[in-house]
Amino acid sequence: MVGLSLGEQHFIQGGIAQDLRCDGRKRLAYRPISVETGVIPQANGSARVRMGATDVIASVKAELGKPSLLQPNKGKVSIYIDCSSTAEPAFEGRGGDELSAELSTALQRCLLGGKSGAGAGIDLSSLVVIDGKICWDLYIDGLVVFSDGNLLDALGAAIKAALSNTGIPRVHVAAGASSDEKPEIDVSDEEFLQFDTSAVPVIITLTKVGKHYIVDATSEEESQMSSAVSISVNRQRCICGITKRGGAGLDPSIILDMISVAQHVSEQLINKLDSEIASAEAGDDDES
Amino acid sequence: MGLPNASDDLSSEMEVDAFRRLFPLRFFERHLAESIRPDGRPLGKARDTSVFLGAVASANGSALAKIGSTTMLTAIKMEVMTPSLESPDEGCIAIDFHMPPICSPIVRPGRPAEAAPVISKQLFDTISSSGLVNLKELSLVNGKAAWMAYLDVYCLDADGALFDAALLSAVSALSHLQIPAVAINDDGKIVLMSEEDGQKQAQEQVNKEKRKLTLKSIPFSLTCILHKNYILADPTAEEESIMETLVTIVLDSSGQLISLYKPGGSVLAHTSALQDCVALTRQRVKELKSILDEQNSVMEIEQD
Amino acid sequence: MAGKGGANPATYSPSPTIQKKKAPLFKEDWVRPDGRGFHQCRPAFFRTGAVNAASGSAYAEFGNTKVIVSVFGPRESKKAMMYSDTGRLNCNVSFTTFATPVRGQGSDHKEYTAMLHKALEGAIILESFPKTTVDVFALVLESSGSDLPVVISCASLALADAGIMMYDLVASVSVSCVSKNLVIDPIFEEENYQDGSLMITCMPSRYEITQLTVTGEWSTPKINEGMQLCLDACAKLAKIMRSCLKEAASDSKE
Repeated sequence: MVGLSLGEQHFIQGGIAQDLRCDGRKRLAYRPISVETGVIPQANGSARVRMGATDVIASVKAELGKPSLLQPNKGKVSIYIDCSSTAEPAFEGRGGDELSAELSTALQRCLLGGKSGAGAGIDLSSLVVIDGKICWDLYIDGLVVFSDGNLLDALGAAIKAALSNTGIPRVHVAAGASSDEKPEIDVSDEEFLQFDTSAVPVIITLTKVGKHYIVDATSEEESQMSSAVSISVNRQRCICGITKRGGAGLDPSIILDMISVAQHVSEQLINKLDSEIASAEAGDDDES
Repeated sequence: MGLPNASDDLSSEMEVDAFRRLFPLRFFERHLAESIRPDGRPLGKARDTSVFLGAVASANGSALAKIGSTTMLTAIKMEVMTPSLESPDEGCIAIDFHMPPICSPIVRPGRPAEAAPVISKQLFDTISSSGLVNLKELSLVNGKAAWMAYLDVYCLDADGALFDAALLSAVSALSHLQIPAVAINDDGKIVLMSEEDGQKQAQEQVNKEKRKLTLKSIPFSLTCILHKNYILADPTAEEESIMETLVTIVLDSSGQLISLYKPGGSVLAHTSALQDCVALTRQRVKELKSILDEQNSVMEIEQD
Repeated sequence: MAGKGGANPATYSPSPTIQKKKAPLFKEDWVRPDGRGFHQCRPAFFRTGAVNAASGSAYAEFGNTKVIVSVFGPRESKKAMMYSDTGRLNCNVSFTTFATPVRGQGSDHKEYTAMLHKALEGAIILESFPKTTVDVFALVLESSGSDLPVVISCASLALADAGIMMYDLVASVSVSCVSKNLVIDPIFEEENYQDGSLMITCMPSRYEITQLTVTGEWSTPKINEGMQLCLDACAKLAKIMRSCLKEAASDSKE
């Protein structure tokens, strides 16, 4: 919880109304974003994203598993977020559990598409090794290191960066294996397949303060919100998921307006992220 | 709550309400002296009771039982198991009693009610010791496969006499239970047979037709409160909270005693008091049996 | 006879001999398994006062989805809670073991619990019961698709029955996107094969959305269409809920 005096509250609200926020940003401007990839060597892919003071890490771990009966030709992805108790005093003990669960479900909703697997940001069919028998299970873990608002967007960006950093080992299947026995497989430790992450959407949270909404809110600004809508948008400007936070009701026309603003903002954010990821990857390669 | 001597005057009604909350025991004792209870019942009379069979469409057997406002929903789901080595020709019944937070203000999520495991055990003991179900009827293939009947009782509304209502709904669900028609497939697994599925003669049919269990000597119960010299049949939650000595008697349909619970309490019961309770239970069993028989015959007419 | 818990052997429920044809079910000119039109909701049935032990309660039945919600309070907040000059809302959603086709564990549903809380909190006038808590507990007796929207609508009716002050009734409807068609109030089979879903919770008289979730890929016109479908259905649903309340009120007068 942010403790703010009445004067400070008015200052924040007034600033947002006049399109000049406390840190000098406009309503639809982001804080500086920095991306670092390959921060966890033992994971298949990882990234650290900082948006202003907000600091998150995402890692991707791939394991061989069995596809579900309903979708034999698709791999499985699970997302789990942990809010470290160092990030904010309120997360101590079990205080972060509720937020962790909320962020996890919001990210699953935004990145994994519908139940049939259509519309997922990650091409699940590329994870299949043998139809109905073996597939890759991706375990995506997020860690909130420091929280200064806008966690969902930062985590979404970190997962996108971690996925583009991910190499999945190539699997050779021994030919001629009979259909019911367990096929022999050979996991290569040299050849890696890169992911196509161009379809992974970005998440844009529009926080409504007073009559206006802002992107990339700090925790001080979030304490003044009446409601927030998180919209995930991909490069084709399609909506991949919406989650609403905060209790106050919103007029449907405002939500539609928010969606079109998010679509507009997404383009800048995707370009910015892509170039950051590319330069991080390039830096990574130079070092190794 | 129509009070027998309450006038229409609001102020006197307020006084009675306040009296009831402040001195509950004296409030009840004043009523008992007149041989009547606050809800207008005579001491030995149970509340209105109803049973509705087949309340849960997706279950193999189900029943909703109401005693006054105490409501119990039971559903039975049949699954297949490998029978134990000691009794290769017998199936199993697993009984569970649940008190979800919706049923009573004293139950909260994450803190299960104390009464739930007690009633669970009582139900299990009663149904297994009464010999109601012949477990051999639940066998499919000797030593290989047998039915496991999961019987779950949910309390939807708790207003006293929970065990009586739970037992009534459990035995009603067992009388409604239909064992599905099944066959063994090539892998040795049990599969369901659909009715239009005539051509599957290659499969060994284990249970050709849907059938019902033969239930003998159905157990019914009545809970009474002992307070001083009074015996109150079928108590409400309010009565249970004020007067603490409870006696639950379970008789089968032919009037034989199956079990008797008197879990402590401040009143020491005389033999004569217990005999009076048994006599009340005997009457009650007749009532409950006719309610259940009527429902079962209604079901049969609907099916024909 | 086996005891409960512990040593029960592993069991499985026998599957039907003929596997249901999956893929062809949702080809281009498909009809819904229960024969409804794409934009037609299941018949809704509501009844208040289902649980006498609660301060307010409601039972809802949409096709085979059956739900009971009880409301307790306003009552004393837990001792550990700090002083608060607005009331608190506490929610819980659980399932019976026989709610789903395969026997489940009957445990609490954390995600639905959080969603129910968010859907209701904007509609309740929390200032009207300071220092105290209102508990909203839901039990899904049978689950057959669109469980969460039914729970939410039923909960707002139970709150009204308990006399908790609200800005408006809350109605909730979801649509599924199944092979290019938008189907409203989807059943279990449709939800399992959906490409995307959209759920709206709104206060129809105020025309305000309290909760909105979208999954899967949606284009802007499709979102518009889906939202409009949901909002229209919510308005109709709220009418049914309102008439249910009126009926209950006139019954108690007599």
